[in-house]
Amino acid sequence: MLNYSFMQNAIFVSLFISILCPCIGIFLVLRRSSMIGDTLSHASLAGIAMGLLANINPILGAFIFTSICGALIEFLRTYFKKYTDLILTIVLSLCVGTAITIISSGKLRANADSFMFGSILTVTRFDMLLVLFLSAVSVLTLILLYHQLIYISYDEDAARLAGVRVKLINYAFSILVASAISASIRIVGVLVLSSMIALPVATALQLGKGFRTTMIFSIVFSVTDIMLGLFISYYINVAPGGFTALIAVAVLVLVLIAKKAKSSFSVKTLS
Amino acid sequence: MINAEDLRFSYTGAPPYVLNGIDLDIRNGEYVSIIGENGSGKTTLMRLILKFIKPTSGRLSVDSRRIGYVPQRSDFSNSDFPITVFEALNSYRKLLKLKDKNLVFEKLEQVGMLSYANALIGTLSGGQSQKILIARAIMGDQELLILDEPSTGVDMNSQQEIYGFLKKMNREKGITILSVEHNLDAAISNSTLIYHLMRGQGHLCTPKQYAKEFLSDKGSVSFNA
Repeated sequence: MLNYSFMQNAIFVSLFISILCPCIGIFLVLRRSSMIGDTLSHASLAGIAMGLLANINPILGAFIFTSICGALIEFLRTYFKKYTDLILTIVLSLCVGTAITIISSGKLRANADSFMFGSILTVTRFDMLLVLFLSAVSVLTLILLYHQLIYISYDEDAARLAGVRVKLINYAFSILVASAISASIRIVGVLVLSSMIALPVATALQLGKGFRTTMIFSIVFSVTDIMLGLFISYYINVAPGGFTALIAVAVLVLVLIAKKAKSSFSVKTLS
Repeated sequence: MINAEDLRFSYTGAPPYVLNGIDLDIRNGEYVSIIGENGSGKTTLMRLILKFIKPTSGRLSVDSRRIGYVPQRSDFSNSDFPITVFEALNSYRKLLKLKDKNLVFEKLEQVGMLSYANALIGTLSGGQSQKILIARAIMGDQELLILDEPSTGVDMNSQQEIYGFLKKMNREKGITILSVEHNLDAAISNSTLIYHLMRGQGHLCTPKQYAKEFLSDKGSVSFNA
């Protein structure tokens, strides 16, 4: 299996996205904005459709359009302060509408279906370089903005008082989310992408640790989910995205059971 | 330190105003408690001073950029955020660009919480988490400390410790304190001045004047200010 070049490409890209997704996801989940991931993954589908229509690399198209939609979500916060969930509905309508209109027009020179479910066969050398570039820039930005992002998520007022430019960093973060989604879309697919952003974080949160440890465990769970999903889906011949989501849910359930068993054991030991 | 002239604020930008013509002059080194009934505009005034919101009209100036802030615990509902005491304080130190790594431990020691450095903030009691918020607020060399109902959800012993600490910071270090209070005893016992807000307007008086004017038939109150 590892002798196939398409599988080597897939493993390479998967490793990067399994590190990148939870790093972005932890901030989205803790801001109670994990559905932004879902909205922006639909934005990436519209971007892919535009890329295919304009005959440019679809991942590049996804990155550009997803960044615009991420910035649009941030911009609309000013106008819908009390109805933030409505913003996602508005942007989702724009994205799904654009994607369906372009795909159904019959003018695409390639098939957009592989992006819906994820595919390991279609990862090209250029995709790999693009994913490498997007991941490297994103991780570097995350390291630079680490403390600012923690405080904007934890206590926005305190961050503002400490001189953090909250709005500017929120815009930068939107582009980071767009970058993670664009990098992941080829393998994971639009339909389950948001689960790859949220589920490893949800699993790590069950451990009840501090921020840094939670982030490290999110990455560990994410690498486990994506690699297991990739290898098993190869052998049973199904799309990797869907199977990875199933593995992520299974790991979460296992951790929840282990947590429950541990607390029951502790109660019995005490009594 | 804080000066307001004919300050007005409404959330819609038009009447009726939450704050309707506030005149206020607070000098360095004062300990001022802002009191008033629910909806009188206490928290709004505090948020204006912190520049979280902008006045609808009037003038407001604050002569310090070194401001520490302790939010109201019931508003600060992020208690399930996975962060340790050390992480919360250390990240804040980094935001303030303070280089001394020992500052976190120094501030924790000052509020008597050094042994909780590795505890998750969400596992702390009301009094303990309030002390951590105070430790964060005094990070750096702050000149002005603003607190929003510091005794809400805090047991009596912790209340005494917190007010004792605030008085010490005010009397010994000369830090100006502005505290939104629902605890009248604490306001009268600890403050050098009381700002009483009623229906969007307010007046500044000493604790003795306040007690004489408003509490004459409500029993005795001790004066330590």
